[in-house]
Amino acid sequence: MLTSGPIVVMQVPEVLNVKEVDTFMEELGPLLESNRPRVVLDCSQVRSMESAGVEMLLRCLEEVLKRDGDLKLAALSPEAEVILELIRVARVFETFQTCEDAVRSFNAIPADAVPQNAPWYADVFSELGVLKQAS
Amino acid sequence: MLAAIIITERVDAVEGKQARSCAGSWPMSWARVEVLGKSAVARFADSLRQEGCDAVSVIGSNPALSASASGSADYWVNAELLLANQKQEGFDSFLIACCGAYVELDLADMRAFHDEHGDGVTRAMAPDGPLDLWMVDPSRFSGRDGIFPALREGASADYPVRGYVNRLESPSDFRRLVLDGFSGRCRLRPYGTETRPGVWICEGAQIGRGSRIVAPAYIGRNVQIMEDCLITRGTNVESNSQIDFGTAVEDTSILSSSYVGIGLDLCHSIVDGSNLINLRHNVTLEITDRVVMRKIAVRGGDRRPWAEIERGQMALSAE
Repeated sequence: MLTSGPIVVMQVPEVLNVKEVDTFMEELGPLLESNRPRVVLDCSQVRSMESAGVEMLLRCLEEVLKRDGDLKLAALSPEAEVILELIRVARVFETFQTCEDAVRSFNAIPADAVPQNAPWYADVFSELGVLKQAS
Repeated sequence: MLAAIIITERVDAVEGKQARSCAGSWPMSWARVEVLGKSAVARFADSLRQEGCDAVSVIGSNPALSASASGSADYWVNAELLLANQKQEGFDSFLIACCGAYVELDLADMRAFHDEHGDGVTRAMAPDGPLDLWMVDPSRFSGRDGIFPALREGASADYPVRGYVNRLESPSDFRRLVLDGFSGRCRLRPYGTETRPGVWICEGAQIGRGSRIVAPAYIGRNVQIMEDCLITRGTNVESNSQIDFGTAVEDTSILSSSYVGIGLDLCHSIVDGSNLINLRHNVTLEITDRVVMRKIAVRGGDRRPWAEIERGQMALSAE
């Protein structure tokens, strides 16, 4: 059975340059190595972003996906949104208006909520049966 | 005889105040920015000449437009000197414009109105308020008082402008002027050749293989559009700019001599060198990574983007 740790919400620093990225990753890095990491990055304070910052976001996403987790961006500041759109990476991330929305989205369809006792095509065939009867 | 004196700054700039902007401050008057091939100021000067103005003088800090560059404090002093000289040359009416706005003026109609009302000073009025555009009799000024206080504080007849007016107070106004030019809502027409409906391309422009230009769009003089770009929906790329490989530009103004890097998505923006104004998010950014955006030195050197790029850090900072 797969298990997940808690959802981690982290505030991204105001300036995402090489130095800040290193400091931020020292904190975030160990969390990404857990089993199925679930991370929300609060980008509301971001005012300045260098290429190192964009690279960091992509690297974090890659890491969490490798471990079957997910990373979501929340409360993007206009500056962060413009730069992510400009360099065509905005679509790579799932983004939310607020951190609460992002956290809630992790719980929207939990993996263990999908019924495993019936095959997926059972519903389709039952619908076909209904159609047959109707015709 | 009628003479025109155009000051290429807004009144607030001449008075030393900050111009208003929807997305931070902008260092220059929008009327001086090239739009569809020529600035609003230059177009206004052209239209005055065409409508029979005997002399048109432009005072401002743009060396391409004015004979003598001057600081903002000197604008009105220069205007007064010019007015005094031209008065001696026999000019009996003056049109004085602090050219922050784009105005389509019926000069003959305004002159008739001015003569009819006989107030000495006639001020142009747009539906939303007065414009910094006056027609004056030089005898009205004694020389003791400055022209500007007399124009702003003195009594004047209000002439209603019936033509198109865009105050060019903000980046949004500038974009609106571009779109109005494309759609024919004003007399401002793009320069160059209309190669197909709604697509204007100027001389010296190069369009790379696989690039698409979708109407309405304007490609200015000596612009280079590299391979596989998309220029669409009301985009104007002004003279000497470069759009690099695979970049998509939509509803955006690329001001003259700007380089836009590889594989970018630009929407609802104005780009001037390394400055980016995004109108949808209402933010102004300065991009310090020269690989992404930068101002191009037009004269001398290799203009190819890959020849002079030094790998740098991309940095954005909000103003």
